[in-house]
Amino acid sequence: MRKRTLKRGLTGFWWLTLVFLYLPLAVVVMFSFNAANSAASMTGFSLRWYHQLFANDQIMSAFGNTLVLALASSLIALAIGCLIGYGMYRHRHRKLGWLIVLIYLPIVLPDIVFGISEMAFFVKLHELTGWFKPGLGTMIIAHVTFQIPFVALIVYSRFVGLDPTLFEAAKDLYATPIKRVVHFMLPTIKPALISAFFLSFTLSVDDFVISFFTSGPESATLPIYIWGAIKKGVSPEINAIATLMIAAVALAAVASLAINRRKA
Amino acid sequence: MTEIPSAQRATQHAGDSSATPADSGEAEHVAQPHGSSQHELSEHGPSEHDRPADGGSERSASSIHMQGLHKRFGNSTVALDGVDLTIQAGEFFTLLGPSGCGKTTLLRILAGLEEADDGRLTIGQRDVTDVPPHQRSVNTVFQSYALFPHLSVRENLAFGLKMRGVDRQQREERVARIAQFIQLGDLIDRRIDQLSGGQRQRIALARALVCEPDVLLLDEPLSALDAGLRSQLQVELLRVQKRLGMTFVFVTHDQDEAMVMSDRIAVLNGGTIQQVGPPRDVYERPVNAFVARFMGHDNLYPISRREGDRVTTELGELVLEPGTAGSDELLLIRPETLDVLPGTQQGANHLHGRVVERLYRGSHAEFRLAVGAATIQATINNRGHRLPEVDDEVTLVVAAEDLVTVAA
Repeated sequence: MRKRTLKRGLTGFWWLTLVFLYLPLAVVVMFSFNAANSAASMTGFSLRWYHQLFANDQIMSAFGNTLVLALASSLIALAIGCLIGYGMYRHRHRKLGWLIVLIYLPIVLPDIVFGISEMAFFVKLHELTGWFKPGLGTMIIAHVTFQIPFVALIVYSRFVGLDPTLFEAAKDLYATPIKRVVHFMLPTIKPALISAFFLSFTLSVDDFVISFFTSGPESATLPIYIWGAIKKGVSPEINAIATLMIAAVALAAVASLAINRRKA
Repeated sequence: MTEIPSAQRATQHAGDSSATPADSGEAEHVAQPHGSSQHELSEHGPSEHDRPADGGSERSASSIHMQGLHKRFGNSTVALDGVDLTIQAGEFFTLLGPSGCGKTTLLRILAGLEEADDGRLTIGQRDVTDVPPHQRSVNTVFQSYALFPHLSVRENLAFGLKMRGVDRQQREERVARIAQFIQLGDLIDRRIDQLSGGQRQRIALARALVCEPDVLLLDEPLSALDAGLRSQLQVELLRVQKRLGMTFVFVTHDQDEAMVMSDRIAVLNGGTIQQVGPPRDVYERPVNAFVARFMGHDNLYPISRREGDRVTTELGELVLEPGTAGSDELLLIRPETLDVLPGTQQGANHLHGRVVERLYRGSHAEFRLAVGAATIQATINNRGHRLPEVDDEVTLVVAAEDLVTVAA
């Protein structure tokens, strides 16, 4: 009897959790199709906010920046993180745990601390060298720094999961060092690379604080634009952007799930 | 099983165990000291086309010479302590010993996966001491099989050929041929994770054989399999080796397996070779107590006195075959050389004892007997005679020529 009550309680809790997670999203999606310029009542279905959205140069430029930033930083982080992950695997007997802690530390710091220090650092560098003008470039560098540990760890754990004699088998079967990379290592860790890329991409699109402090006047991303826009109140346009982002993330999640399932 | 046409030729070559001129030529062809596989493609690719499609490559087995191989790990662990060994071309050679004896290290040095600290290694006519593994015409069947999980069976089989730059059509032909030879049937289109242990083992063997290496190395390839499958694959492996006439170097800790399969066995302990010889020599004439015990012999007795052919042990006095050389330290009596007679009978090399334990095994029975203060094991074939019971007083008889003296 008590067991059943407990079970019912837990089920109820589960549904409550889902409600708090998804209902706000649902509201945003709903109001993005609102005919009236109101966040209070639905007056009818309309795509006007989407039309406005795509006509808004500022939003389109922010969208472009977000995409360029996420793509560039993810690819760079993938390349560097992959090397670090492999290096950690190769030298796993040398107790390099501190190395991971070292690259992980900035991530567990509050974003705002990391963001402010990055900003100060880039400003100083700009004064000294004339390079590193706050903008997309500095943002990419900042994003890469926080993406790298995730990529490195994903790649590392994939390597650790492999039979170590596979590396020897590749050597034994006449693969030169380069061929080992192309025909053995990269194909073997491909699933890890794909999920690391998706994760990096999401982290980048997600990030507001660090982007905010390292951006320049020309390089606002969608989160920065939204932040600026909602100071004037939540417009239905923002709802439309949010809806598109929700759709994109859902699509990416489904895609990565499908890829993983095909691999398994 | 279908014959690989080139196999017949190889077997003939293997007959004369010395390295033939063709041998050295082949060694140069397969892996040049400095050439990457890509170079081999451009230089040797066309000549592969000229060969008859069924012929594979003209090849003969390679001999292996090891000279003063030393290897230590860290500062303290000595894995190999001066190994000198010659393995004949076309031989099924087994490295036998307990774990940590250095047999796997030696195999890995042959493969190039480990570098010797000191010493020389020659395969065929070529000094490969400093040649990396991907430039050696040597392939390994790994204990864990090490099949690439991201590739199908077919792609696994073709991997080595692809890395060597063999063109697609040739690859497909050779993979098809080896698949037929090892009788893989429809396994070839499976994924690796759909295979059982025994199937993986055969794929791993096929993947190594398809490259037609000068030497095939096998690192305890059967140890993960259950007994029935194991003996079945022992026979299959032996057949493959005899047909191809390839030099096989096999590592195992199982003395029965070593005896069944090998032309010759090297018993290793503590990084040194204890004895090298055909299975019969190693089993029947072990040179020291370690080899004797490792081959499963327990009836070892310290010799307290030796006068000519007469030796005294705690069992009593026994007469050796005249002129028995060897050490005077231990006497070995193999259990199966003993005859057990009822009652107390007198004669040379007759020992009197009492049955302490009897293990009935169907085809034979194993006895533990007390002879004075000593115990001795005897194995008697079950020919339908009455088998002695526990507590029976019996007479043990051993022929002088079956007594062996062994170093401690």
